[in-house]
Amino acid sequence: MSTRHSKAAKSFLENVERSEWHDNTLWGVRVKRDRMSKSLPEWERLRDAASAIKRHTLSHLDEYLEKFSENAQRNGVIVHWAANAEEFNAVVLDILKAHDVRKLVKSKSMLTEECEMNPYLEAHGIEVVETDLGERIIQLLDQKPSHIVMPAIHLTQEEVGELFEKELGSEKGNSDPTYLTYCARESLRNEFLTADAGLTGANFGVAETGEIVICTNEGNADMSTSVPKLHIAAMGIEKIIPDHKSLAVFHRLLARSATGQPSTTFTSHFRKARPGGEMHIILVDNGRSRMLAQEKHWETLKCIRCGACMNTCPVYRRSGGYSYTYIIPGPIGVNLGMARDAEKYHDNASACSLCCSCDNVCPAKVNLSEQIYSWRQELKSLGKAPMTKEMMSRGMKTVFDRPALYNLALKCSPLINAAVTCSQAVSLHLWGKGRSLPEFAKESFHSMWVKGKVKNDK
Amino acid sequence: MTSKQNILDGIRKNVRHDIEMPDIDAIVPVQYEDSLSKFVEMVKFVGGHARMLEPDEDINDAIRRNYPEAKVVASSLPYIKADKDPDMVQDAGELADVDLGVLEGRVAVAENGCVWIPQTMKERAVMFISQCLVIIVDRNDIVSNMHKAYEKVSSTEYLYGCFISGPSKTADIAQALVMGAQAARDVTVIVR
Repeated sequence: MSTRHSKAAKSFLENVERSEWHDNTLWGVRVKRDRMSKSLPEWERLRDAASAIKRHTLSHLDEYLEKFSENAQRNGVIVHWAANAEEFNAVVLDILKAHDVRKLVKSKSMLTEECEMNPYLEAHGIEVVETDLGERIIQLLDQKPSHIVMPAIHLTQEEVGELFEKELGSEKGNSDPTYLTYCARESLRNEFLTADAGLTGANFGVAETGEIVICTNEGNADMSTSVPKLHIAAMGIEKIIPDHKSLAVFHRLLARSATGQPSTTFTSHFRKARPGGEMHIILVDNGRSRMLAQEKHWETLKCIRCGACMNTCPVYRRSGGYSYTYIIPGPIGVNLGMARDAEKYHDNASACSLCCSCDNVCPAKVNLSEQIYSWRQELKSLGKAPMTKEMMSRGMKTVFDRPALYNLALKCSPLINAAVTCSQAVSLHLWGKGRSLPEFAKESFHSMWVKGKVKNDK
Repeated sequence: MTSKQNILDGIRKNVRHDIEMPDIDAIVPVQYEDSLSKFVEMVKFVGGHARMLEPDEDINDAIRRNYPEAKVVASSLPYIKADKDPDMVQDAGELADVDLGVLEGRVAVAENGCVWIPQTMKERAVMFISQCLVIIVDRNDIVSNMHKAYEKVSSTEYLYGCFISGPSKTADIAQALVMGAQAARDVTVIVR
């Protein structure tokens, strides 16, 4: 119990009612995902195709990016390239300043979280209004998302009710989700009508057509871009896919994996600016091209940000998004954080039981648990391996390398049963914290076999 | 231009593989024998309403019957009786008081209740800002799955287009499903 993740998880679990709700609710989303995936006999073929399309595209990323950018420019879209977060934020600010923008409405974008765009723009006098309901709630609370698809999943309806009472003037004590959603709807409609620009992320960039595709359930990306005349789209370079044929594959997988819906309510295709409007796309690298060279980890870039790995993860469900130190939590967040800065985000590598459930639900077949396992092997070279575990591993190696010592240890093993109980009583038993050791048998299988005690019925 | 060059050079330097594009056509997608009834089922599943236009029923009467309380109707379709025309408004904000928007869909998808609506009007805000939506689709435009849908979409030109699948929704407060987050609270698809 030494990483920042495990410490934060412990405090999350202190509120039993909330942590159980979190666990059960996310498991419910996983069950809905299963129902959807099983309704399509071709589901596994789709996952194979998604993985293969992404592998192909990433291995030809330079060509596809150039093609995408040429086609977007042909459509009259202004394309920008940003090597890192600083450049990205500066490009956004430049565009906003050139248009005298004072208020910006935006739809959900994990890329802007990654680049910490909101505080940067606010420091330069721009009012930024999040319009996804979950993002709006956490913005009003000055918090960060705790899940990439359900950013406010850590909050109760009573907490949202209290917040809206204070911020939006909703009725005192009313925490009905429908009522609260309608209060936010009224308030956000006013924001859309008075904003000078809209900023969105992008789920996909289609190289063949130069268009970006955004999937939402609320319609907030569309409200943000159909009322104000200026649209800025922020897209990580790994979001490129070749064509509509590929898009069909990803469309069929995304919402089914994310929330167990057959499709998001809105799948919006932005190809050209509106009549009288202006459209910008900013292609952001921020460490992605560097990840292509990480032989064991480059396939993390296949991720389509559905969040299915979080919903299924027994550790995420029981520890909450805030227990992770990287902005993206869960299995994919462990890997993205490590790939970005292993030194800084190594605490999250412990947040995995290696159950491999994430690998089996990932629509793009990212080998998440395998990668976490391999990051753990690298902890030692980073000087981040916990000392106690290292000593235990060394001890085990000594025993397992020596058959005589192993047999002796095995004979003595029933003694451990008593020893563990004693050490737990005086809290010396580090390994046993958060784990229970199965009782050692009085006699080993090997010795039973030798004595003929093992009966073979065949 | 230097950032562009740096990014592209970085990619070329770091890519370690040369992987072939898979054959997407090898996937055998689900096909529904009766794609019309599957489509109707899925529109209902995603929270919308679906109804057939009777052979001698007038479309304007059908819309009125479904939304008798709508005071401001907006549409750019020439055969629809409307109070506002998204082609004629100066500004998208003028559509803020629209109770009912009437649109035409070009492709309808049985597997998920999606309807493809390209922007054919000046202000596409009508697709989102209207409190309720009626989407008219032709029964011959229903396809089984998204592969077929994108095949149809690919052969057209559009500056913007959206697949809409039922009313706007959210579950961001305590995972309770609420219809009508930001865009239309209620959607009816009329199949003719």
